[in-house]
Amino acid sequence: MNILLVGLSHKTAPVEMRERLAFADSSLTDALEKLVDHDTLDEGLIVSTCNRIEMVASSPADPEKGIDRLTRFLCDFHDLQPTVIDNHIYRHTGLDAIRHIFRVASSLDSMVVGESQILGQVKDAYRHAVEAGTVGRTLSQLMDRTLSVAKRVRSETEISHRPVSVSSVAVELALKVFDSLAEKNILLVGAGEMSELAARNLVEGGASKIIVTNRTPERAEAVARSFNGSTIAFESFHEAFSSVDIVICSTGAPASVINAEETKRALRSRRKGPVLFIDISVPRNIDPKVAQLENSFLFDIDDLESVVRANIHEREAEAHKAEVIIDAEAHHFAKHIRAMDIGPSVLEVKEILAQLAISEFQRNRKRMGDLSQEQEAAIRDVLIPSLVNKLSHPIIVHLRTAARNGDRSQVVEELRKMIRID
Amino acid sequence: MDYLWFVILSGYALCVAESIFSLTSKQPAPRRWMIFPLALAFAAHTAWLVDRGISLDRCPIAGTEEMFAFLSWALVVAYLVAWKWSHVLALKAFIFPIVLVIATIAAVAPQSDATPAIKGPLQSFLFPIHAGLILIAYSAFFIAFGAGLMYLIQERELRLKRFGTFFYRLPSLDTCDSISFKSMAVGFIMLTLGIAAGMGWQRIRDGHYWHGDPMEIFSAITWLIYLALIQSRRSSGWAGRTAALASIVGFMIVIFSLVGVRFLGTLHPFS
Repeated sequence: MNILLVGLSHKTAPVEMRERLAFADSSLTDALEKLVDHDTLDEGLIVSTCNRIEMVASSPADPEKGIDRLTRFLCDFHDLQPTVIDNHIYRHTGLDAIRHIFRVASSLDSMVVGESQILGQVKDAYRHAVEAGTVGRTLSQLMDRTLSVAKRVRSETEISHRPVSVSSVAVELALKVFDSLAEKNILLVGAGEMSELAARNLVEGGASKIIVTNRTPERAEAVARSFNGSTIAFESFHEAFSSVDIVICSTGAPASVINAEETKRALRSRRKGPVLFIDISVPRNIDPKVAQLENSFLFDIDDLESVVRANIHEREAEAHKAEVIIDAEAHHFAKHIRAMDIGPSVLEVKEILAQLAISEFQRNRKRMGDLSQEQEAAIRDVLIPSLVNKLSHPIIVHLRTAARNGDRSQVVEELRKMIRID
Repeated sequence: MDYLWFVILSGYALCVAESIFSLTSKQPAPRRWMIFPLALAFAAHTAWLVDRGISLDRCPIAGTEEMFAFLSWALVVAYLVAWKWSHVLALKAFIFPIVLVIATIAAVAPQSDATPAIKGPLQSFLFPIHAGLILIAYSAFFIAFGAGLMYLIQERELRLKRFGTFFYRLPSLDTCDSISFKSMAVGFIMLTLGIAAGMGWQRIRDGHYWHGDPMEIFSAITWLIYLALIQSRRSSGWAGRTAALASIVGFMIVIFSLVGVRFLGTLHPFS
């Protein structure tokens, strides 16, 4: 059983090519059935996302033939010439293929290391292939291992720990100031797309009380409705400062909309904990002096982006740890697969018996008298092989059962001893 | 120094090392490390107190050695309670160094038996209650101090927008604040009861509730300060940074009451 992988990703092919070679969900089953011909390839699986296409297969015989078939299949299915895609696809066999699929599922090959979507996508692809009936022993073992390696990487390294988008960083900051976002009042100053996105992230983080204010009240109302929130007049939103906990500011205004003096006055009557100001507008809408007020925190877009950059850096540092884990696991699995592979053992058994039969034939040749060419050919090429197959059949069945049970049986060794060949 | 103290101090020293390491290092340290030395040290510590109490036939809470032994023990208990309630592990890095210092003082304190000062014709159950409650109150105030420190460090990380390991390991400001407040409240109640018991005991000893002793004055100051803290938090939401600073000031006063007051000369029986 050779494990093969042919594919392309955002690292090797432009988006137009990836689109061209993608497999739609609806055509996956058809594609898988066409891919697995039970001759060159006896198992197959396809992962197709907007950033990559990975075709994983198991081939009983020559890996080169298998790779060829995979490549040809990709071209034929999408009606493309091989030369067009040649420079954009990668081909892996054995340990490399195993390592690659482990890396992909663990998000190490993704655009943002540590992203969590890819694992779900790989799981879906696995499920699809199982339903299409193109997953057998080899691939099911490989995929089970892949999923557990991905889980290991997630839990033993910190590659997915720090948030890497501006809105999720904002939520993380909010959770470091406030214990939880439930029951916290959030004021959106400016009802644009950016504030909506930030608010949506906060709602996902547990917030529920959204107040919106905007120069045009209709827009404020529209956004407030989508959050089941309320609105207040733009002219007097400062008054809300004494009761809100988080203020997200993102108007298109060219200058300060929230200035330090008014804010200080509004905060004076505040009885609760600190206020978190998040200014995601460019140019800044919140007077930087607000950051120095007692019990108020201010983060602007630069601050958030530098946190994102630092977090991405952290993830990449953690990626090294992940590579070590994956490498060890890949080696381990490759060994396991090799041990499971009874192909060579089957060949050996047949070899041993065939040799035995031929040497007996030669020893007893004289007693057979004169044989015509035809008769010799019949004995050598028909009788002996068919005898060997018949004799070796029960042994091979035993081998297969043993392998299925994970028993690395010493059948071949025993056989040698039994027939007394060394 | 008792051989038992050796076990206790090394156990706590390991806890201190582990807590600081897990707070500042980038490795996610396995949680289980501290449990063994902590369990060992705490068991030995409890054994020491019980043994002392049994051999002297009274509560082991008089004299520097016993007081500090009891205080460090109560502080470990206070930490465990705070951890059980808040699940904030970072607190251990702030509490265990204090535990170690206090336990070390107890370990090296000159052996002396304060029994004569307490037993005898003026013996009363009020004494161990008084001393016990005060020391429990102090450990609660130490927890508030630890939480206050965490608050200030976390706030600094947020203000400087520099998110180092502390930022991620320390809990949210809100959490630090609520640990601080709850411990202060518990401490204050214990302190009130403890002072009342103390006054009751003094009355039995010599008929006066109050002597104008430095120790008594400092206890009164401590009591008033914590009263003010708790009141202003409840009424004017005096939370956040100011409250954290105040819990540190409170801690200083407590330390002074424990240690510095002796140098002012006091009639208060210590040893």
